[in-house]
Amino acid sequence: MHYEKPTINKIDFAMGSKYGSPVKTQKIRTNIAGINVNELTEKYGSPLFVFTEQEIEDKYNTLYEAFSTRYSDVEFGWSYKTNYLNEICRIFHKLGSCAEVVSEFEYQKARALGIEGKDIIFNGPYKPKEDLKIAVQEGAKIHIDHLFELNDLEEIAEELNIQIPVAIRVNMDTGIYPQWSRFGFNYENNEALEAVERMHQNGKLILNGLHAHIGTFMLDAKAYGMATEKLMHLKAIIENQFGYEIEYIDLGGGFASKSNLKGVYQSSEVIIPTADEYADAITNAIYDNNRSKKLPKLYLETGRHLIDEAGYLLSSVWGYKRFPDGKKGYIMDAGVNLLYTSNWYNFNIELDKRYEGENELSMLNGPLCMNIDIIEENIMLPPLNRGTVLSISPVGAYNYTQSMQFIRYKPAVVLIDKEGNTRVIKEVDDLDTVNYKEV
Amino acid sequence: MITETKELLENIIKPYSAILFLNNKVAGILIILITFMNYRIAVSGMIAIASILLFAKLIEFKSEYFSEGFYIYNSLLVGMGIGFIFPLSYISISLIVIASIFTFLLSFMLNRLFSVYSLPILSLPFSIITILIYLASYKYIGHTAVTFENGTSFYNLALPSFLSSFFRSVGTIFFLPNALSGLLLSLIVLYFSRILFIIMVTGFYFGVAVHAVFLGSYESALLNPYNFNYIIVATALCGIFLLPTIRNFFIAMMGVLISVVISDALHTIFYYYGIPVFTLPFNMTVTAFIFVLSMLYYKEFNYNIKSTPEESLSYYLSNIFRFGSNQIKISLPFSGEWSVYQDFNGEWTHKGKYKYAYDFVKTKHNKTYKAEGLFLTDYYAFGESILSPISGYVIDAREDLSDNIIGEVDRVNNWGNYIIIKSDLGFYIEISHLMQYSLHVKIGDYIKLNQIIAKCGNSGYSPEPHIHIQVQEIGVINAFTKKFTFSEYYVEKQLLFNHLPKKGELIRNVIVNKNVHSRLIFILDDVLHYDIYEDGEKKATTSFTVCMNVGGEFYFEDEKNNKLFFYADHLMFYFYHYTGEKSALQQLFILAPRIPYIHKDGIYFTDYLPINLLYSKLKTMKIELLSTINKNFYKIEKCYTYNTYSLSSDLGEVTFSPHNKGFQTICYQNTKLIRKEP
Repeated sequence: MHYEKPTINKIDFAMGSKYGSPVKTQKIRTNIAGINVNELTEKYGSPLFVFTEQEIEDKYNTLYEAFSTRYSDVEFGWSYKTNYLNEICRIFHKLGSCAEVVSEFEYQKARALGIEGKDIIFNGPYKPKEDLKIAVQEGAKIHIDHLFELNDLEEIAEELNIQIPVAIRVNMDTGIYPQWSRFGFNYENNEALEAVERMHQNGKLILNGLHAHIGTFMLDAKAYGMATEKLMHLKAIIENQFGYEIEYIDLGGGFASKSNLKGVYQSSEVIIPTADEYADAITNAIYDNNRSKKLPKLYLETGRHLIDEAGYLLSSVWGYKRFPDGKKGYIMDAGVNLLYTSNWYNFNIELDKRYEGENELSMLNGPLCMNIDIIEENIMLPPLNRGTVLSISPVGAYNYTQSMQFIRYKPAVVLIDKEGNTRVIKEVDDLDTVNYKEV
Repeated sequence: MITETKELLENIIKPYSAILFLNNKVAGILIILITFMNYRIAVSGMIAIASILLFAKLIEFKSEYFSEGFYIYNSLLVGMGIGFIFPLSYISISLIVIASIFTFLLSFMLNRLFSVYSLPILSLPFSIITILIYLASYKYIGHTAVTFENGTSFYNLALPSFLSSFFRSVGTIFFLPNALSGLLLSLIVLYFSRILFIIMVTGFYFGVAVHAVFLGSYESALLNPYNFNYIIVATALCGIFLLPTIRNFFIAMMGVLISVVISDALHTIFYYYGIPVFTLPFNMTVTAFIFVLSMLYYKEFNYNIKSTPEESLSYYLSNIFRFGSNQIKISLPFSGEWSVYQDFNGEWTHKGKYKYAYDFVKTKHNKTYKAEGLFLTDYYAFGESILSPISGYVIDAREDLSDNIIGEVDRVNNWGNYIIIKSDLGFYIEISHLMQYSLHVKIGDYIKLNQIIAKCGNSGYSPEPHIHIQVQEIGVINAFTKKFTFSEYYVEKQLLFNHLPKKGELIRNVIVNKNVHSRLIFILDDVLHYDIYEDGEKKATTSFTVCMNVGGEFYFEDEKNNKLFFYADHLMFYFYHYTGEKSALQQLFILAPRIPYIHKDGIYFTDYLPINLLYSKLKTMKIELLSTINKNFYKIEKCYTYNTYSLSSDLGEVTFSPHNKGFQTICYQNTKLIRKEP
C-alpha cells in the first residue's frame, strides 16, 4: 500500500428542473477577442498559441492601479522567464515595465529589445561572471543570490575600480509551506545581515536594495504582508547599522492567476486573492513598518498574474477512440509538449460551438507517442469530431517558454492587438530551425 | 496683564453688540456711545456689567463662559431697564447690582436647562427679572411712573411718523425710545449686515400693518411701544437662529404675526400692574419656533451662528456646495471600474423602505459576463474584492450561504451573505450577496476605510454577482434604509464629490494614498518658508506657521496675522476659511481649496470658493443678498486639474514635493512662491 494524495474533482452534471436540462453543460468559446477560433486555426494552422493585447493591458492596468493608487512609487519588472516572446515583452515595456531577467540569455534578450542596463533587474542563482561584469558596466540592478556571487562582484569592483550598487536577495519564513529557502540569504538566521556586514567591511559594494521572492501561485496575500514587514525591518537595521540607504525593495512575483490548481475544489475566483488584496497587504506593511524619512521604491516582478489569462492554445481534434474501460479518448494535435503546466493546473477547455448529444466522460490526449501525454484525464464532453477546435486556457504564463521541441515542431504564436488585428509574432518551426546549429 | 485688560474690555463691549445679534467690537463701542444719549441708561448699563464681572471674580467663574455673551447681556439689559425708570441714587444702584447678579445666576441656570434641548435663553432672564424689579419697586422710594418718554424725547427727529416710529422701536431695544438713537443703531446694523437690516424693516412694518388691521387703527398700531418685538422676532427667525432664506423669511413673518397677538395678550394683563411686557413676546415666539425646528432637524436651521447672517449663509452654502451639507457620506465598496446596476428607487428591488440602496456590477463592453454568462465564473464581478466604504466596527455578518448558480435566486435568505458595519459617525452600512466563506473580517473587528472585507458573490436574492450596499439607521438586517451620497468617485478623469452616480454609469472608487496623505499632515509649529518672486525677481520672503485657536481649529498664519483655516479628514485636505488682507495665503486657498489624497495624473474636479475670496466687497455684498433668494447665485464653480505633484487651474498652480510636507511652489498671476529651507 502506498499513500496517494487525495483530490476532489468537480464533476459538472445537468441539474434537472421543470424546464428540463439547462444548457450550461457545455463550455463554449466561439472567439478570442472577437476573432473566430476556427478562422484562426484555418489561417494560422493548428495547434496555435493566441495572445490578446487587450487582456494583457487590462490585467496590467488593474494590478498597477491597485498598487499605484495606494503607493506612489511603484514599478513593475516584466518577468522574462514567464513569457519572453519579443512582442509580449514589448507590450509590457510599452506599458511601463522594466525587465526582470534571471540568466545571461534573458539579459541579452532584454538588451536586444532595446532595454537599457539600468532598467534591467538581474536575478537568479546563476550569473556567469563575464556576463555579470557586463551587467555591472551597463548599470543593471544586480540582486545577489549567494556569497560566491558576492565574491565575484567584489572582484569585478576591484577590476573596474568602482563601487557597485547592489541588492541582496533575502529568503524568509512567511508562514507558508513550502518555504522557499533556496534563493538568497536567510532572514531568520541572520545570514542576510552577515552578508551585508561582509559587504560593508570590504567597501566595494554599496547596498541599495532588498529583494524577496517568497513563492509561486501564492494563495494567501498575508504572506506578502509578512515578507514586506521583514524586508522593512531588515532595511531599518541595515540603514541604522551600516548607513546604507536602501532605495528600493522588490517583492518578486508569485501572484496567482485565475488558473485552477489540481486538487482544489473551488473555482479560482473563490480561492485566489484579488489584485487589491496583494496590493493592500504589501503597501500597508511598508507604511506600517517604515522607519526612514523616505519611503522606498517598490518593485514587483509579477509574471503569471499578468500574462496567464491573456494566452490561449487552440488545438484541434484529430480523431477519437473508445478505450476498453468505456471512456472516450480524443487525440489532439497539441499535448504536454506545449502544455508544461498541465502537471499542476486543470485548464479551462472550451468548445468552438454547441454540439448535439449527451456529455460523456472523456480523456484528451496529445499527439506524442508517450503514455503520459494527457491534457485532461476526466472531462465531460459531448461527441466531437475531427476538426473540432478546443480553446485551452489560461496558458499565457510559462507554457510557451517551457514548451519543448519534442516529436512535433513548435507551433506558431498569434497576437490579437487592441484594434482586433491578428498577426503572427512567431512562426511555426520547421526542419531548418530544428537543425540550426546541428552538424 | 495686557491680555487680561483686553479680555475685560471685550467682556464689556461684546454684550452691547450681542443685543443686536452682531458679534463685532466696533459695533459694540458705537452702541456704548449711543447709550450716552441718556446718561442714566449708559451708567446703569455699566454698573450692571461691572457687578457681574466682580461677582464672577468672587465665585471664580471661568472666563471662557463669558465668550458665549448671553451671561452678560441679559444683566446689561436689566441694568439699563432699571436706569430707565429710576433716577440714579444709592437705591437704584443697589437695585442694579442685586438684579444684575440675580439675572446672571438665572441666565446660567436657564442656559443649563435649555441647552438640553439646544435652545438659546435669548433675553428671557432679562424679561423675568425686570418684571420682578418693576413689581418690587412700587414699594420703594424714588419710583416714578413707568414712562417710555423718559428724557430722550429731545432726540426725536422731525421725520414722518411711519419712519420715526420704526427708529423709535429700534432705539427702544436699548431703552432709548427716540428716533435719533434708532437711526444710528439702524445705520450700524446696515453697515454690518444688509440682510439683518432688511429683515428688521420688513418685520417691523409687517407687524405694524397686521396689528393695524386687528386694532382698526393704523396710528395706534404704529405708536405701540412693543413694536420692537417684531423687529427682534423677525431677525432671530430669519438670519440669526434660522438662515436668511426665502423659506425662513415666511417663517419669520409667521413669528411676527404670533408676537403681535402675544404682545397684546400680555399687555392686557401687565397693564393692570403697570409694567411693560418687555421682550416676553419675542422670547415666547422664538423659543417655540426654535424648539420645534431643531427637533425636526430642519434643513435651513443655522447650526453655526456666525457674526452676521451674511457669514452664516456663506458658511452654510459653502458647506452645501463644497462638502455636500450634513448628509451621510460613504465611499464606494470596491476598487477599479464598476457600473451602477440599480440606484435609489431602483426598478427591481430598491423600493419602499429599501429605496436608498445601490447595486454595482462589473462590466466590459456593456456586458457583465464573458462567454455566454452561463457560469458564475463568467461574471466579471464574481470574486472581486469588496472594500469597506467607511471606518467602523463589524457588528453583524453571515457567510454560510452558497452562491446561487446562474438562473436561480434564494428567496428565503434575500440578503444572502452580508456584513453590517457601524460607522464611527453613528450610522450603519449593510452590504449584501457576499461570496460564501469569503469574509476577511469577523464580528467585533474594527475595520478601516478601503480595507478589504470580503469578495463579491451571488448569495441571497441575487440573479447575478453584484454588490448591494445601503445605509441604515439601526444595525439589524432588513432595517429601513437612509439616504446617503458617495463622498468621492471618478467618472473617467473627473473626480466628483458627494454625488450619486446614475444607473448604468461607469465609476471608479478613490483609494486613499497614505503617502500623499502623510505629506499633508501638519503639526503645530510646523513652519513653511517661502521666497516670493515677482516677474522672476525675488522680492520678499514669507512663512506660514501652523497654529490652533481655542476652538481647536487649525490654520496657517503668516507674519501679517492673516489666517487660513484648514481641515484634513480621511479623504482629503481642504481649506475652509480665510481671515485677513490680500496675501499669498489667501491665494493658496483659491489655488488649492482641496487636495484629495490620490496618486493619479490628469484628474480634474470642480470646487466652489467662498465668494469674498474672489470678488470685491461690493460684489460680495450683492451676491450675498441675492443668494438669500436663490442659493445658486453663490455657486461659483472653479475647475482644478490634479497631477500627481501639482494642482492647477486658470488661476495658477500649487506644486508638491514627493518627499516633503506641504506645498513646494505657489504660483499665481506674476507671483511665484518657492519653498526654501529655513
